[in-house]
Amino acid sequence: MAKVFGVAMGAIVAAGVFATAAQAQETVTWWDFLSGGDGVRMKQLISEFNAAHEGDITIDATTLEWGTPFYAKVRTSAAIGEGPDIMTYHASRIPLAVSQGILQQITPDDWSTMGLSQADYASATWDAVTVDGKQYAVPFDTHPIVLYYNKDALAAAGLLTEDGKPKGLDSREGFEATLKGLQEAGAKFPLASTTADGTFMFRTVYSLVGQQDGELMTDGEFLAGDNAEKLENALGVLQGWTNDGLQTTYTDYPATVALFTSGESPMMINGVWEVPTMIDLKDQGKLFEWGAVELPVIFDHPATYADSHTFAIPANAGKDMSPEKKTAVLEVISWMAKNSLFWATAGHIPAYGPVTQSADYQAMQPNATYSSVTENMIFDPKSTLAGVAGPIYDVMSTYFVPTLNGEMEPAEAVEEIKYELNDLQ
Amino acid sequence: MLRNKRNEAIVALLLIAPFVAIYGLIFVYPTIRLFITSFQNAPLIGSGEFVGFDNYTRLWGDRRFNTAFWNTAYFVAITVIPGALVAFAIALGVSRLKGRLQALVLALFFLPYILPVSVVYLIWDWTLNFQFGIAMYVFDMLGVDRVPVFKSTVWFMPAVGVITIWWTAGFSILLFLAGLRSIPVEIYEAAALDNASRLTTFRQLTWPLMWPVTALVLTIQLILQLKIFDQVYLFSVGGRPNDNLVLVYYVFQRAFQYDQGGRAAAAAVVLFILVIVVSVLNFQLTRLSKGRA
Repeated sequence: MAKVFGVAMGAIVAAGVFATAAQAQETVTWWDFLSGGDGVRMKQLISEFNAAHEGDITIDATTLEWGTPFYAKVRTSAAIGEGPDIMTYHASRIPLAVSQGILQQITPDDWSTMGLSQADYASATWDAVTVDGKQYAVPFDTHPIVLYYNKDALAAAGLLTEDGKPKGLDSREGFEATLKGLQEAGAKFPLASTTADGTFMFRTVYSLVGQQDGELMTDGEFLAGDNAEKLENALGVLQGWTNDGLQTTYTDYPATVALFTSGESPMMINGVWEVPTMIDLKDQGKLFEWGAVELPVIFDHPATYADSHTFAIPANAGKDMSPEKKTAVLEVISWMAKNSLFWATAGHIPAYGPVTQSADYQAMQPNATYSSVTENMIFDPKSTLAGVAGPIYDVMSTYFVPTLNGEMEPAEAVEEIKYELNDLQ
Repeated sequence: MLRNKRNEAIVALLLIAPFVAIYGLIFVYPTIRLFITSFQNAPLIGSGEFVGFDNYTRLWGDRRFNTAFWNTAYFVAITVIPGALVAFAIALGVSRLKGRLQALVLALFFLPYILPVSVVYLIWDWTLNFQFGIAMYVFDMLGVDRVPVFKSTVWFMPAVGVITIWWTAGFSILLFLAGLRSIPVEIYEAAALDNASRLTTFRQLTWPLMWPVTALVLTIQLILQLKIFDQVYLFSVGGRPNDNLVLVYYVFQRAFQYDQGGRAAAAAVVLFILVIVVSVLNFQLTRLSKGRA
């Protein structure tokens, strides 16, 4: 009996020792939605962080399903105080999140604790996390769309310039000539486009609207004035490519990437997050020479749609964050920003200026080639209806698919989109 | 033997108490809240101000709700009766087989039923994908134009309907088979003695005797298909969701994507009432008609 008692005592003492050891260490609960090539790189960053802060801070990370499932879970768990301590968040969804009161403000004190400031970020990026003059997240990267191209195929068709970029990136005529040249050289569909998935085409269409200085939302009204016409122009150009057989039809996301990487389509417009796919395939010797550049200028001037991955701190209802926890969370954000050079291997452009200005970053390819896009970025309109997997995406997607595959006239699509968007409010 | 009625009642209460408690907590209470929320201008979480019948009247003029309503009706029309007929035909075929062969064939038809919806989606996406689907290569060989099945409004619902029948027929087949086995062999022997033809035997014996089972299958299928969501959602994500809306998808969209709990609740109440009315009506009609079609 005494022996059993002794063992029990020992267990209690041991448990007590472990408990005190655990108290000295802050565990930061982390949620993200990064599951592709960038997810792998984020996991590496997290383990590096944990190694550098051993005995001090540990990140306990969980990856959830991207899009509606992620945001629905954040919304419901923050409401009952069961959200994480830190999470990744799309800048485009911040207006909605702020209206729902699920994000904590990043106060000026927080910024100085982290050793970060407005001067470290591009103004468009800073603006994307700002609502009514207050910041609600810390930008981690920007992820625009770019034009991927198959250098081997373009060189064979004589369509590469001397510095290894595709010809005709400065005008609609030039770019269409390049596409037709590729068609004549035997490419069945010169451009791989995600024409079956309007949510992806939204990024391309919105870029083309931006190239005409068009805006989706002005003074709370959708597509007012000549903005409707600009959307129609953008859709007209893209539908023209379909009619001329220059781009793939009814193609979903995985098929788009496969058409490009298999060499069937020598060009593809897609997000920078596919850069790791290309790098990894190239390393395995399964890919041609490739490159990525800023989108061609189809209209008046360069403009590219971008969104930003940010770090946000949820406002967990009825659960105040202890100062120690808050400090730990800010340390996580600060460390991630300052070590975001590695994140650039995931294709994303680090938001933290000192990283992109560094010599190391300037030497990275193709990242340095398309980093010029930072000056021409346009973000989603500041609306609670905007954002990835949000209502605007749904409406657009529904009409983009028939239009871009030649089932519906651009003018009709714009009418319908305008009606439905204004009906959402 | 004398029984203590009071004691029995207490025991009975004790035995059903756990069920009543759980049922009340996770069904009755949320249902009441649903009705209350449907009269409020509420977001997804928490309650809002009372707005009377606003959420309901807005459903009336909502184009999206209209699409969802008619798509659901269309889906029910192309799956419930056709699905039951297919299952009945297969059950008739399977019942003619004997022994192990019957078990094997039955297993083959039942197999899709055990698949989770995500697997069903992947199988059919691999088959019918416009760029890489296996079926498209068959189309190419036959010289037929490729069809973007899940991206065209014409093909979407019929395709999802056929897939749903393929997926869920297994269960109906089992019910029909059980029904066929419960018909006494003697009746058929008597019919054979009377020199009844196969068609007459089927029309006068099998069909009316099977009617209770058919009514059951139809009712189960009707309720199930009115609540259709998973397949439609999976096949239309990223495509043209607003053209393919069904009622539950509409509720999901309003609640989880648009953060409009009140409007979602109103649509859910309408669906709730619709399911009750239609299924009661269906069951009563099928019961009364007793197979006199």
